[in-house]
Amino acid sequence: MELMWWWLLLPAAVAAGAAWWAARRTDSTANARRRPVAHADRLILLPEYQAALRRHRRWLAVALLACAALLASTAVAAARPVGVTTTRPEQHNRDIMLCLDTSGSMSSADAAVVDVFAELAAEFDGERIGLTIFDSTAVQVFPLTDDYHYAREQLELARDAFDGQPGSSGFLDGTWSGRGSSLIGDGLASCLNSFPHTAGRAGNGDPGTTGDPAATQDAGATQDPGQPQRSRSVVLATDNFLSGEPIMTLGEAAALARERAVHVYALNPGDLDYGSGPDQPGAQLRAAAESTGGAYYALDNPEAVPGVVRGVEETEKTALRGTPRAVVSDEPGLPLAAALLSGLVLAVAGWRLRP
Amino acid sequence: MTSLLQRVKSDMAIFAHRKARGMLDGEYGSVFRGRSLDFDDLRAYIPGDEVRDIDWKATARHGSPLIRRYVAVRRQTVLLVTDTGRNMAAAARSGETKKDIAVMALGVMGYLAHRHGDVVGLVSGDSAGTTALPAKGGEAHLERLLRRVDSAATLDAAPSRLEDQLDHVARTIKGRNLLFVVADEVAASPATSRLLRRIQAQHEILWLTVRDARLVPDEPLLPLDEVPDSYSVSGSYPLPAHLVPDPAVVSAYATAVAERDTGRKAMLRQAGITEGEVAGSRDVVSALFALLERHRRAG
Repeated sequence: MELMWWWLLLPAAVAAGAAWWAARRTDSTANARRRPVAHADRLILLPEYQAALRRHRRWLAVALLACAALLASTAVAAARPVGVTTTRPEQHNRDIMLCLDTSGSMSSADAAVVDVFAELAAEFDGERIGLTIFDSTAVQVFPLTDDYHYAREQLELARDAFDGQPGSSGFLDGTWSGRGSSLIGDGLASCLNSFPHTAGRAGNGDPGTTGDPAATQDAGATQDPGQPQRSRSVVLATDNFLSGEPIMTLGEAAALARERAVHVYALNPGDLDYGSGPDQPGAQLRAAAESTGGAYYALDNPEAVPGVVRGVEETEKTALRGTPRAVVSDEPGLPLAAALLSGLVLAVAGWRLRP
Repeated sequence: MTSLLQRVKSDMAIFAHRKARGMLDGEYGSVFRGRSLDFDDLRAYIPGDEVRDIDWKATARHGSPLIRRYVAVRRQTVLLVTDTGRNMAAAARSGETKKDIAVMALGVMGYLAHRHGDVVGLVSGDSAGTTALPAKGGEAHLERLLRRVDSAATLDAAPSRLEDQLDHVARTIKGRNLLFVVADEVAASPATSRLLRRIQAQHEILWLTVRDARLVPDEPLLPLDEVPDSYSVSGSYPLPAHLVPDPAVVSAYATAVAERDTGRKAMLRQAGITEGEVAGSRDVVSALFALLERHRRAG
């Protein structure tokens, strides 16, 4: 228990001293209102009167004590008693990048995907989420953030755009550069590059030559040794219908994700494989996702959202405790309760002392 | 400032109209027998005159009662004794200052004496000292005496101790005088009783008690303005009025005051002193009349 504005006690003490001095000072005009009487011993020597006087004085003392307690407790309350506790806030050191394929084949499902993303964003607490959309090129709608309000706004904008609301057509600007469409491997790689620390290195290097896990992990470890390692997940919504020549194939992007210890959770809105061959798009996507330690869900699977959430939460890394932080909280309860109590006592004493 | 004596005279005039003109003079003359045997003249009887002064033969001749008047050979000395200490600046039963009532009573008595041709002196003071003004005649002297009492008895004066003044009388006043003591409700004490008996042996004493202010209402449930907040002149400490309506305090106070009054009356009676009581300045003349009447009957 500390006092934040302890200096307030000094004026309070000065005020109390001044009040005491004023009360103690013999008031020369006090007797002007009174009538002088002689032979007061007729009254004051009576034991009954002395008993009444003692009672009066006792109540006066009670009132005085209550006054002092009231002043002291309100002064203490005004000085803001605070409790300082040291907490190590538990941080959910997880980064989740929502990665949305906005190609023509997905256009019918994008609104539903955004709804699922919004649902996912509502499930997370303490994680950082970001949104990247891609078609032939990737656009980061918002970077990793824990400002969920902002994330929800952006997701609502995205849904408006996919629903074709007027005035929202600019949302998809920049995702199409004519080099094809639905370049899923490139999109996933861009999403992987949206994570901090390793983004620059991965972006500069040839995807083929960044396959040295030790080098990358060393770089990640030495880049910011004070920062705890954050678990990384990508929720990739795509139907895996490729049209064009991607720089990286899905498999390469998945390898990159694996190398960077990023889990990829695939959401497939159109789980329409013909048969169970490994070259079917759904099966490829499943294989890529599961190769990174993630999972594959059809979008309409009721297990999709809980499964992704569970999967992401299981990726919790070790250093999840934040730095110790001193939390200062007001604790005015005790002095205010004392003030209330002494106020009540003062009221009772004042009632007893009323002339 | 109007003359104090003027106030006394007007009060006496009112009283005289109410009762009968000259009645007070008759009472005074009957009480203070400063008479010689040298016949002066006759005058009409006034109620209050001694019956034995009636000249029955002249009355029979004249048809209405006539009083023999004698030439006063011995000028009586009336000695006004009063307390001018702080106590007298306190409130009386009527709410007035006791000093005003005392001045009125001393003035009436002094004026009666003056009209009767007697000389009037004053012994007054407080615990700090006693002053004696020698007995002289004349209204101006009387006025000076009253002024003396009026100006001395203030709240800044020393505490009261009437025993000092009585002691002064006992020690310094020679001869037989008429003492008119105006005091408040002094408490009886063996020392005072002895002193009074000693003085009574030499002088003739009339004692007028100015009733002190009531400190407690008669009834416990009276409104509080009946007894305002007070403070004691002796210690300047307050007596909060709201403490006293306690029924236990009221009954104890009544008992204590009754005992005190009984003690004082018994002390004065034992010493052979006639005592009168006055509560306010309106009652001074009638109280004095009653006192003179009682004294005449007693002695």
